[in-house]
Amino acid sequence: MIWTLPLVPALAGLAIWAMGDRPGRALPGAAAFFAAAATLLLAAMLPEGAAPLHWAPGLELRAGLPPMARAVAITVAGVGMAVLLYAAAQEAATGLGRLLGIMLIFVGGMQMVVIADDLLALLIGWEVMGACSWALIGHRWRESAPMRSANYAFVMTRAGDIGLFVALFAVFAGTGSTSYAALGQLEGGMLGVAAWGLLVAAASKSGQLPFAPWLFRAMDGPAAVSALLHSAAMVAAGVYLLARLGPDLAAAPGFAPGALAVGLATAVAGGVVAIRQTHAKKLLAGSTSAQMGLMIAAVGAGFPGVAILHLVVHAAFKAALFIAAGIAHHATGSHDLRDMALGRAMPRVALLVLPAAFSLAAVPPLAGGWSKEEILKALEAAGPVASALGVLAGGLSAAYAARFAILAFGLGREERLPVPAAARAAMLLLGAATLALSLLWVPTVSEAVLDWLGAAAPRGSTGWLIASLAAMGAGLMAGWAGARAPSAPPHHEWLGLSALVDAAIVSPFDWMSRHAARLDDAVIDGMGVPRRDDVPPGRGALALAVRGATGTASLAARFDDAWIDGQRVTPRSRLTPGHATRPAPGGGAIALLTRATAALARIAGRGGEAISDLIPEGSGRVAGLVGADLRRVQTGMAHHYYALLLAGTFAGALFLIFGG
Amino acid sequence: MLTLSVLLPLLAAIALALLPRIGDRMARLLAVVFTALPMVLLLAVWMTDPPSGGFAAQFEAPWIPSLGIAWRVGVDGMSLALALMSALIFLAAAAWPMQIARARAYYAWILFLTGVSLGLFVTLDLVIFYVFFDLSLVGMYFLIGRWGHGDAQHAALKFFVYTLAGSLLILIAIIVLALSMPELTFDMRAIIAAPPLAALADGGTVVPGLVLLALVVGFGIKTPLFPLHTWLPPAHVNAPGPASAILAGVLLKMGTYGLVRLGLQMMPETFARWAFWIALLALASILWGAIVAYAQPNLKRRIAYTSVNHMGYTVLGIAVAGSAAGTETARALALTGAVVEMIAHGLITGALFLVAGVFWKRTQDYEIAHYGGLAEEAPRLAMMATLAAFASLGLPGLAGFVAELHIFLGAFAVYPWVAAAGLLGLLITAALFLQLLRAVFFGPRPAEGGVARFADLDRTEMAILSALLALVVLIGIWPLWLLELIDAATILAAPGGGG
Repeated sequence: MIWTLPLVPALAGLAIWAMGDRPGRALPGAAAFFAAAATLLLAAMLPEGAAPLHWAPGLELRAGLPPMARAVAITVAGVGMAVLLYAAAQEAATGLGRLLGIMLIFVGGMQMVVIADDLLALLIGWEVMGACSWALIGHRWRESAPMRSANYAFVMTRAGDIGLFVALFAVFAGTGSTSYAALGQLEGGMLGVAAWGLLVAAASKSGQLPFAPWLFRAMDGPAAVSALLHSAAMVAAGVYLLARLGPDLAAAPGFAPGALAVGLATAVAGGVVAIRQTHAKKLLAGSTSAQMGLMIAAVGAGFPGVAILHLVVHAAFKAALFIAAGIAHHATGSHDLRDMALGRAMPRVALLVLPAAFSLAAVPPLAGGWSKEEILKALEAAGPVASALGVLAGGLSAAYAARFAILAFGLGREERLPVPAAARAAMLLLGAATLALSLLWVPTVSEAVLDWLGAAAPRGSTGWLIASLAAMGAGLMAGWAGARAPSAPPHHEWLGLSALVDAAIVSPFDWMSRHAARLDDAVIDGMGVPRRDDVPPGRGALALAVRGATGTASLAARFDDAWIDGQRVTPRSRLTPGHATRPAPGGGAIALLTRATAALARIAGRGGEAISDLIPEGSGRVAGLVGADLRRVQTGMAHHYYALLLAGTFAGALFLIFGG
Repeated sequence: MLTLSVLLPLLAAIALALLPRIGDRMARLLAVVFTALPMVLLLAVWMTDPPSGGFAAQFEAPWIPSLGIAWRVGVDGMSLALALMSALIFLAAAAWPMQIARARAYYAWILFLTGVSLGLFVTLDLVIFYVFFDLSLVGMYFLIGRWGHGDAQHAALKFFVYTLAGSLLILIAIIVLALSMPELTFDMRAIIAAPPLAALADGGTVVPGLVLLALVVGFGIKTPLFPLHTWLPPAHVNAPGPASAILAGVLLKMGTYGLVRLGLQMMPETFARWAFWIALLALASILWGAIVAYAQPNLKRRIAYTSVNHMGYTVLGIAVAGSAAGTETARALALTGAVVEMIAHGLITGALFLVAGVFWKRTQDYEIAHYGGLAEEAPRLAMMATLAAFASLGLPGLAGFVAELHIFLGAFAVYPWVAAAGLLGLLITAALFLQLLRAVFFGPRPAEGGVARFADLDRTEMAILSALLALVVLIGIWPLWLLELIDAATILAAPGGGG
C-alpha cells in the first residue's frame, strides 16, 4: 500500500506534536527518528503500483513508485532522519514537540508529492507541504520577523501554485481525467497551458527567478527547518515534478527553452548572490536556488534522469552544510560568516563539513562532481550558450563552497566549543551518504543506476570538460581569496529582487486594496460608516438610491397635501421643518370638493345650510388629521423606503402580469 | 418528519416567548434541545429515506387550494445537506455560552430562526418559501437590533430594508412563475418538472429575462453579490457572535439556494442565456470581496468581506452549472462544488465568527492592530483560528478545498478565463488570512494601547468549535459521503435541470 508512505510520517508527526514539550528531548527525538526510518524502509520496499483511491465522484487519487519516485522517496526519508536527529539534539526545547511533529508531517506531504501519479494527489501534497513550511518557518512565532517571513514564503509559493491549479484544470478540461497518463495525451494549446502552469509552480517551489527571494526569507526558520526545506523537500519538489513529467511536457510549445532559460538564469544569478553573502544560511540559500536551477536546466535539455541524480546528491551534502551552519550559529550566536572560523573550536564538525563542501564545489571524486559534470554534458545538447552558462554556474558554486568552508570552519578561534554528539551523528550520516554516492564515479555503478532509472546518459565533449574543470579550479581560488579579503554584506537582498517585488507587486496591491475598501464604503454604499470621518455619508450609489426613494416619498407627500387635499392643515405645530413650504389652501381636490359642496349647499337654500356645512367641515378636519399623521410617519427612513418599494412592486407586478 | 423538524423549534420559540417563568439557564437548555431535535430528525430522514434522484420524505397538507398553495415539504440531496448544516449551526449558536440580558427572548428568537430557516430549505411550496424567506429577516433583525453592539439599530435596519427590497423582487418573480403555469400552482415540483417561462421562448424573452433579473437581484442581495453586498459588513460587525455565525452560515445560503432552486431549476433556458453574465458578477464578487477584505483593519469586517468572496465562488459554480455550454460532467462538478461551498462556508465562517465573538466577549475590541502574540495566552483559540483560517483559504485536506476544486474544475471547462481570473482570489485570501493570524496571534505583544489580558477558550467554546472544525476536516479528507448525498448530477438531470 503506497499510501502508507505519506501517512506513516504524517500520523507519527501528529502524535509527536500532540505530546507537546513535556517528554523532553530524547523520547520525541527518538520517535521522530524511527518514524522517518520506517518511512525509509517503506520507500525501499513498497511495491511499484497501487490501487487508486475513490475520493470523489469522477475524481480518483492515484499513486505509484516508479524508480525515479523511489529514489527521491528514499532520499527524503533519509535526509529527514538526519535532520530530525539534529533538531532533537540542538533546537530550542520550547516548542520542540511541535517542531519535530510538523517536520514529520512535512515529510509526509513531500512523500505525497513523490508518490503522486495524478495532478490532484500532487496538488494535495504540494499544498500541505506549503502549509507545513509556513508553520516551520514561523516556528519562533514569539519574535516579530519569523511569522512575517512565513507569510511571505507561503504567499509567494502559492502564487506559483496557481500555475499548478491551472495545469490541473487544463488537463481535466482536455481529457476528463487528472492522471499523469492523461497529461501525456494532451496536445497543442492545452498541453502548453499545462506545461507552463507546471513550470511556474515548480519555479516558485524551487526558489527560481522571479520567486527566489522567498528562500532568503525562509532563513528565519530554525536551522533544522532550513536543512529539510532546502535539500530534499520543498525546493526539491519543483525539480522532481518537472523531471517526473518532463517527457510528457517536452512536446509543449516553448517548454524546453523556458525551463532552460529559467534554470540557467537562476543558476548564474543564485551563484552571484551566494558568492557575496556574509550570512551563512543565506549563502547556502542562494546556492540552493542555483543548484535547483542547474537541475531544471537539465530537464529542459531533455535529461530528467540526470536532474534527479543531482537532486539526490545535492540533498545529502546540502542538508549537511545547513546543519553545520546551524551548529556554528548555535555556538557563536551569530549567522555572520566573519564571526565563525570554527576549525579548531570544533574540529570533528569541520572534518565532516569537508566532503559536503567539496561535493558542492563539484570536486572529483566526490558525488557532487559527478552529477554536476553529467548536467554539463546534458547542457551540451542544448547548445554552447547553455554550456557556457552551466560552466559559469559551476565555477561560481566552487567559489562560494570554498568561501563558506574557509570562513565558517577555517582556523581562527582557539577555544573548544561543545557540540552534541547527536548533531555530529546527523552530519556523519549525511557524510556517509555523500561518500557512498561518490561511487557513481565508477562507470559500472552509474550505468546500472541510470539503467534502473530508465534515464539516458548524456554524452559530453572533452573541450567542455576541460573548461568546466578550469572554471572549478578558478572558482576554488576565487573562493579562497574571497575568504581572505574583508567583505561587506551586499546592500540589496537577492540583487534587489526583493525590493522589486515589494515595489512592483506588494505596495501597489496594498494601495489598491486600501482604495478599493474606501470605494466600497464611499461609492458603492455611501451610507456613512460610524466613527470613520474619511467616508462622508450620502454620496454613494446606495445612498443615492435611498435619497431618491425618500425624495420621491416627500414629493408624494407634498403632492398629497397640495393637490389631493388642499385644505388648511391643522394643527400646524406638528409639521416638520422639511415641509415648511406649504401649499396655498383651497386648490386641492378635497378643497374643491368642499367648495363645490358649500356652493351647492348655499344654492340648496338656507334650510339645509346647517346640515351641508357639516360635510365640508367634517371631512376637511378628518382629512387634515390623516394628513398630519401621514406626515409624521413619513419622517422615519424606513417608511420612505416602503412607499417607494410598494409603489415599485405594484408597478412591476402590473407590468409583468399584463405588459408581457 | 420534516414538518416536525420545522414545527418543534417554532413551538418551542412560542413557549419561550409566552412563559415568563423560564429562567435563563433553562431557556438555553431548551434552545439546545430544540435545535438538536430537528438535527436528529433530519439525520433520521437521511438514514431511513435518503433522497435518490428526487425529493424524499414528502408530505403535503392543503392550505389554500384555490390558489394552489399548500404545506408541502420534501428534500433532495442539496436541501437535506443544507438543512443538516443549518441545524448544526443553530445548535452551535444555541449552545454557545453568552452572558446577555433578556436571555429568554434571545433564545426564543434563535429557535424561531431555526424553524424558519429549516422550513425554507425543506419546503416545496413557493409561497411558504417566500414567507420563510421574509420571516428569517424578522428574526435576524431582532437578534442584531436588540442584542448587537455598536450601531446595532442602524445596521439591523439597513440589513432589514435592503434584504426586504430583494425579497419583494423575489415575490414578483414567484407570482409571475406561478401565474405562467397552465394551472395556477405554487408547487415547486410541478414548476421544476415543466419550467413555465420556457414556453414563452417563441419570441418573448423580455419577461423571462426580467423575472430572472428579479431573482438574481433579490437573491444576490441576500447572498450577497457585488455590488449589493454593503449591508453585510455592518450587520456582521454589530451582531453578537452566534447571530453572525447564523447570518453567515445559514441566511446567506438562502440566497444561493434560491438561485439554484428558482433561477436554475425553474427557468433553465433563461438562466443559460444569462449564465455568462452571472459568472462575471460572481468573478467580481470573488475579487472585490478578497481585495476589500485585505484592507479591513477590523477583525469582523475582514471575515465578513471574505464571505462576499466565498459566496462569489458559489455563484460561479451555479452559473457554470446553469450554462448550456460545457459537458454534463463539468456542470455537475460545478454544481457539486457550489453546494459543498455552501456547506463548507457555513461551517468554516460560522466557526470564524464564533471566534470573533470570543474577542468581543473578552475585550469588546475588534481592531486587529490592538492584538499581537495572543497564542501565548490563548493557544487553543490560536489553534482553532488557524485551522479555520487555513480552511477558509482553501487548503487541501479541509472542506473549502473540496468545494473550490470542484467549482474550478467545472468552471475551467466552461469559462476558462473567468476561472483563471478567479484563481487570484485564492491567493489574496491566503494573504489576508495569514496577515490576520500573524497580527493577532503571533509576534510580540503590543507595547501599549493593546489588550492586557485574554482568557483562552473555555471547555464549551472549545467543544463547539472542535465539532464544527472536525466536520471541516472530515469533509476535506473524505468528501465522498457528502458528495454522494448532494448528488448534483440528478439536480441537473431533472427535467428542466439546466439546458
